[in-house]
Amino acid sequence: MNERLAIPNLGNYTVALASAVTSLGIEAWWSTSTNAHAMELGKAAAPESLCLPFKAHLGHFIEADNAGVENALMVNSVGTCRLRYYRGMIEEILRDMGRSIRVWGLGFDGIKPPLIRHFDPPAIPFVRAVLLAIEKIKVVDTLEINTAYTRAREVHVGETSALMERCLRELAGINTPKEVKRYHREIAARFQQIEIRQDVRPLKIGLIGEVSVLRDKLLNQNLEQTMGHMGIEITNFFLLGAELGNIFGIRVGNKKHTRKELAKVAKPYLECSVGGHAMDSVAHTIFCADQGYDAMVHVCPSGCMPEISVRPILRRISEEKDIPVLYLSFDEHTSPVGVVTRLEAFVDILRQRRRRTVHVDFAGG
Amino acid sequence: MSIRGYLGIDVGSISTNFVLLDEHKKLRFTSYVRASGSPIESVQLCMKQMVHELTDIEVLGVCTTGSGRELAGAVVGADVVKNEISAHARGALELHPDVQTVIEIGGQDSKVTILRDGAVVDFAMNLVCAAGTGSFLDSQARRLNMSIEELSEKSVTSTDPTAIAGRCTVFAESDMIHKQQIGVPQPDILMGLCHALARNFLTNVCRGKEILPPVMLQGGVSANLGIRRAFEEALHTQVIIPKYHMVMGAFGAALLAMDALPSQTKFRGVNVSEHHIRTRLFICEDCPNNCEIIEICDDDTVVGATGGRCGKW
Repeated sequence: MNERLAIPNLGNYTVALASAVTSLGIEAWWSTSTNAHAMELGKAAAPESLCLPFKAHLGHFIEADNAGVENALMVNSVGTCRLRYYRGMIEEILRDMGRSIRVWGLGFDGIKPPLIRHFDPPAIPFVRAVLLAIEKIKVVDTLEINTAYTRAREVHVGETSALMERCLRELAGINTPKEVKRYHREIAARFQQIEIRQDVRPLKIGLIGEVSVLRDKLLNQNLEQTMGHMGIEITNFFLLGAELGNIFGIRVGNKKHTRKELAKVAKPYLECSVGGHAMDSVAHTIFCADQGYDAMVHVCPSGCMPEISVRPILRRISEEKDIPVLYLSFDEHTSPVGVVTRLEAFVDILRQRRRRTVHVDFAGG
Repeated sequence: MSIRGYLGIDVGSISTNFVLLDEHKKLRFTSYVRASGSPIESVQLCMKQMVHELTDIEVLGVCTTGSGRELAGAVVGADVVKNEISAHARGALELHPDVQTVIEIGGQDSKVTILRDGAVVDFAMNLVCAAGTGSFLDSQARRLNMSIEELSEKSVTSTDPTAIAGRCTVFAESDMIHKQQIGVPQPDILMGLCHALARNFLTNVCRGKEILPPVMLQGGVSANLGIRRAFEEALHTQVIIPKYHMVMGAFGAALLAMDALPSQTKFRGVNVSEHHIRTRLFICEDCPNNCEIIEICDDDTVVGATGGRCGKW
C-alpha cells in the first residue's frame, strides 16, 4: 500500500501542494482550513504558551495520525522566529504521545531534502509535479485577488464566496499543468458573471501580518469574508506565488515586490529582519499609505514575536503617513464577536474619514 | 397623549439598558437591569417597565448595541444594529461635544476611545483578560460580603491606599488576601484595588494612545467612586462623569436610531415583552464553515437568526 502524507495547512494554497503530492502517487491528507476538532487536539497536546499556528499544525498531524497517515510535511528553517524549531518540537511531542507519524522537514540536508529521499520520486514526474503546483498556486493567487474585488461589491451576499469554493474544488480535480493554464484563463470571466454594484467605492484595506493567521480561515475567524461582506475591499499581502518568487528567485504569478525592494522601503523604519514577515508588514504599510489605501489591518497570533516587535513601528508609520491601522491578535477564542465589534467600530472611523476628505475634494473643485 | 420617541437598547454582559428619547432629544425613560445571564428576558423586563411607566408609546426607531446587539435586534426588530464603541462615542459627543477621550468600563470589556474634533479617530479594547472590569469588582464585593455600592463608598474613605498587583485578577486577589491577613484596613485595600485597576487599564488598554482632556468615564463601573478618584489621580486631570453614565450605550443608541430617521420602523411593538421567545442552536452543515446558528422563534414563527458567516441565515 502507498504511504500517505499529511500536508500543512496553507489556506487555499493547500490545494496546489496536495495536487503535486497526489500526482506522484502519494496519497495526500489535507484541508484548506484547520478544523475545530484538530484545533482542540493541538491545544491539549501543545505547551500552553506556544502560538496558535503551532497548535493548529500539531492538531492537524494528530488527526492525520488518528486516520493512520504515516508521514507529515512541515515547513521549517525559514526566518528567524520560533518556527524554525517547530518541526523538531512537533516531532518530539508526537513521539512522546506514542504516535508513529513521522514529520519531515522541507529543509536541505545534503543534496536532497530528507522528505524527497524518503519517497524518492523519479525525476521527470517530480519536475512535472512541481510545475503543476506552481501553476495551481498562480491560479489560487488569481482567485484570491478576484474574490477580494468582487466580494466587496456583490449584489447578492455570499455569491462570491460560493464561487470561490466551487473553483477551488474544480481546481483540485485538474491534473496537468496545461489544463490548469487553460482553467486559469477562464477565471476572470467567471467572476465577471457575478452581479456587482458599479456605483460603490468600497473602503480599501490592506491585510498584513503573520502568514498562518492571514491564510487559515479558522485561525483568523474568517476575517477576509467577514470584511468582504461588510463591503470592504481587502488586499491580502500574503500571496504564495509572490512569496515563492522571493524565496527561490523564480517568478510565479503576480509578483509585486522582491524582498530586496521591501527591505529598501522599510529601511527608514526597520533596518534589519526581525523574523517572519514582519519586514513585509512594515513595507506594505508604507506602500499602502502612498497608494491611497484607507487603512491596514495587522493580524498575528497572540505572542507572535516578530509581528509584535513591529507594532510600535507600525504605530509610528500610521501617525507619520496618516493611515489608520487596526491590530488584531488571535488566540483560542471561538467567538468572533470581539473581532466583529472592533472591525465595525474601525469601519465607522474610516467612513467618517472618507466623508471629511470627500468634502474637501468637492470644495477644491 | 402618546409619547413619540426613539429607543436605544444596550445589551451588555452584565446589564441591559433602555433609553427612550422623544423627538426633541429629551430623555423620557431609562432603565438599568442586571441581565443575570438571560438577555432576552431582561429586554422583555425593561420593555414591561417602560410600558408601565409611560403607558402610551409610539416608537419611531430602534437601535440595539452591546455584545447582545444581534440577538436583541432580532427579538425587538431593530432599525440599526451598532457596535458599542460607536454608540458610546455618539452618546458622549452629544453631551460634551469637545470630549477627547472616552473611557468606558463595563462588565466584560473595557475600552478607550480617542476623539478629535468631534469624531472618533482611534480606539482600543482589552484583549484576552477581564482584569480591570466590572465583573472582577463584582466578585471581590461578593467575596467580602458587601454590595458593589458599599465597596464604592468604603473605598473613598481610605487615607493611605495600599499597593495591589493589577496585572492579573488572580494576582490581585492573592495580594488583597495577603494585605487583609496582615491587618491593612479594608478601605485602604479597596482603594488600592481601584488604583491597580486604573493603572492596569492605562498601561494595557491605553498603551500608545494620547490621553487628552476632557476625559469622560462611563459604563457601569463609572458609578464606582473609588475608580473615579483613581483615574483622576493617575491622569492628573478632572474626569467627567456624564449625566447618564450608567446607560450611555443605550443613550448613544437612541441617538443613532434618531440619526438614521427610519421612514418605517421595523420595531415589532412593545407587546414582544409578552411573547414567548425561545432560541434554538444548531450547526449549519451546508458548507465547511460549520457555523453555529442561533434561530430566534417567537411562539412558532422564526423571527431571525444570527451566527452565520455567509449571509444564508
